[in-house]
Amino acid sequence: MNNSFTISDEQQNYTQYNLQANPFPYSPVPAEDPEIFCGQQHVAEQISSTVSSVLATGKSKHLVVTGKYGNGKSHTLKYTRSLLRDRDDVVVGYVAQPGEGFLDIYHEFMYDLGFNRIQELAYNWLASVARDVTDANPMGAESMRSLIDEGDVLLSDIVPEAIRKLSDITRFADFARAIVHMVYEDTNLYAWQWLTAEGIRYEQRKEMEIHSALDDDTMGVRAFTALKNLLLDLGYTSVFVFVDEFESIARLNSKNEQATLNSIRHLMDQNSSGLCVLFGCAPEVWQDVMSEYHAFSERIGQEVALRPLTSEHLYELVADYLNRERDEPNGEAPIHPFTEESLDMILQRSQGNVRQVLALCSRVLDTAIEDEREVITEEFVQESM
Amino acid sequence: MLYRRRELDLPNGNLDTPVLFPVRNLGKRSSDNTPTYVGDIPDFSSAIINARSIRNRDPMWNRLTNGVTLREEMDVPEDTIVFADSGGFDFTSGEVDTTPKETLETQRQLNADIYGTVDVPLSRKNRAAENQDRIEQSIQFALEASDHHDGDSLLLASVHGYDPETIRNNIQHLEKYGDFHGYALGSLVPIRTDYEKVTSLVLAARKATEKHLHVYGLGGLVYQPLLLYLGVDSFDSSAFIRAAGNRNYLIPGFGGEELQNIEEMERLPCPCPICGQRTLDDIRQDRTALTQHNLWALATELRRFRYVAESERDIENYLDLRFRGNEVTQRAYKTAKQQIRRLV
Repeated sequence: MNNSFTISDEQQNYTQYNLQANPFPYSPVPAEDPEIFCGQQHVAEQISSTVSSVLATGKSKHLVVTGKYGNGKSHTLKYTRSLLRDRDDVVVGYVAQPGEGFLDIYHEFMYDLGFNRIQELAYNWLASVARDVTDANPMGAESMRSLIDEGDVLLSDIVPEAIRKLSDITRFADFARAIVHMVYEDTNLYAWQWLTAEGIRYEQRKEMEIHSALDDDTMGVRAFTALKNLLLDLGYTSVFVFVDEFESIARLNSKNEQATLNSIRHLMDQNSSGLCVLFGCAPEVWQDVMSEYHAFSERIGQEVALRPLTSEHLYELVADYLNRERDEPNGEAPIHPFTEESLDMILQRSQGNVRQVLALCSRVLDTAIEDEREVITEEFVQESM
Repeated sequence: MLYRRRELDLPNGNLDTPVLFPVRNLGKRSSDNTPTYVGDIPDFSSAIINARSIRNRDPMWNRLTNGVTLREEMDVPEDTIVFADSGGFDFTSGEVDTTPKETLETQRQLNADIYGTVDVPLSRKNRAAENQDRIEQSIQFALEASDHHDGDSLLLASVHGYDPETIRNNIQHLEKYGDFHGYALGSLVPIRTDYEKVTSLVLAARKATEKHLHVYGLGGLVYQPLLLYLGVDSFDSSAFIRAAGNRNYLIPGFGGEELQNIEEMERLPCPCPICGQRTLDDIRQDRTALTQHNLWALATELRRFRYVAESERDIENYLDLRFRGNEVTQRAYKTAKQQIRRLV
């Protein structure tokens, strides 16, 4: 029998290029927390301006980042998210794609925040109420949890007031009850399922005295607004929502597409402060939205387009990637073992598309190792492809 | 396993726990319809009474304040251990008509060994906010009782809640701000068919305190082994009286069977002193005998558990068998087993 497969876990040795590993991804997908953002200065400036305005003024502002497939929309959104996520005065949620309607956007947003974060918010809310109605002075979720566990604060002292006050702030009593139920081990999973619009049985809702089902776009907008109001009351300055692959709304039938855009519009209308939605969208779909759904596109107002990479940006990008796996620099050029000419060839082949650039760089670098090339020349790139 | 044995040193004698306090409905009606058992059933030299009912039945109260002792009124020996509940169950729908101080006075006057603090029970029918108010009231009553209590009697704080957090939170609060010998978990009767819920609440209480833990109202045949397994120190029950009222014959290890469903047998399956010498027809016609048998059935259930525990047999194997016949209680037991295994 002829065994033509040779499978091995032996690792390539990249030391001849003064590298510990191949820094380029084999399958370029956006990292969860990207560390590199290269070129696209105009995009960086536009996003910075939008985000900074929201942070500085508290007024809502939204932006669409357009770009062809592989030009870095997701990377840009995730990079921005990673910058914002470190701040403790904002809440950031990433929605990979809008799904079938606004309820899916809301669902994904909540999931991105996660059970623990929502539970922490619930404890923070109880802490805020406990500071008002008891002598205790819990300064955060952990200290609130500890006061409850130790019996310093009675749940029966603070829970009714917590629900009443949160109902006032959010104008959504069911939402208030669900948030408070996040602290009870018997019901927190039901509360979480309700809050994430997963749907729960009537009996489970009844146990929490929740009367409504969170099962359509209108309720999704209401719940999102309630969450944002809770967050602002807790001292957060703004909520950032990153909606990626917005072009997929084009898959929806016209009625659902319009309903989704209307719901987002309502969300924006109901949240004139403290909200920033950043969309990533293919340009052709955004053009259609602009021409057909004025009411929606006018509320966003701003668009910034990702451009194909230039040579200079490519050199910079490759140098940044190589630098991540570089041993101590020993005098070689930052793009070594690539040459400018070889990168120009890669740029030409990829038409400036970042995803393709990274995939090509990864492949060519491995081939160069196998061929024991000292440098990667234009000819070698041509041969390898 | 959380099952434990202890000995309580009480004003009228010592009491081995875990123990069942049979309900004496003294004061509830013109004459107590609990049959004699102290002295007849060696396991039960104790009783739980409703202090409020006795206090509110004027002729009886007059006797008790004019030299007749409670035990004389009950026709039991003077060393019978008495748990005086505040009678809070009557406040489920009515207004609280006593104060912690007054109730303590009554309990003292009755020479009770164990006092339960005044409480306002919860109901699933109430709105959550109403139940939160009631929980709060019970806590304040307990703390007030703690301030006024002295003497050798055990003071058990009555605790209510329909979720484990509230139970833990209440016990920790009372532990911190009051002085109690233990805790008595209430409001479980209205949710007794939700075995998993009850199990989780009892376990939450057991985890929150090492002190004496009593469970109000759930000492029937099915709950007894569960409560023992969960480390409850005492419980009370009127199931033997209520069951007899419904012509229900309690069979240890099984549950209740209506006598009308048993037709062909000459003798019933239990060899207790009541059933052993009598025919089915005798028992059928004698409600007092049926009540007495039912109490023997509760004693047997308790003895069996103790036997399994003391002989170092595997209690979980015993309970696996014990609950096999009923899907609901089996699920509750399995839930409890999982939770306990995570603890140990």
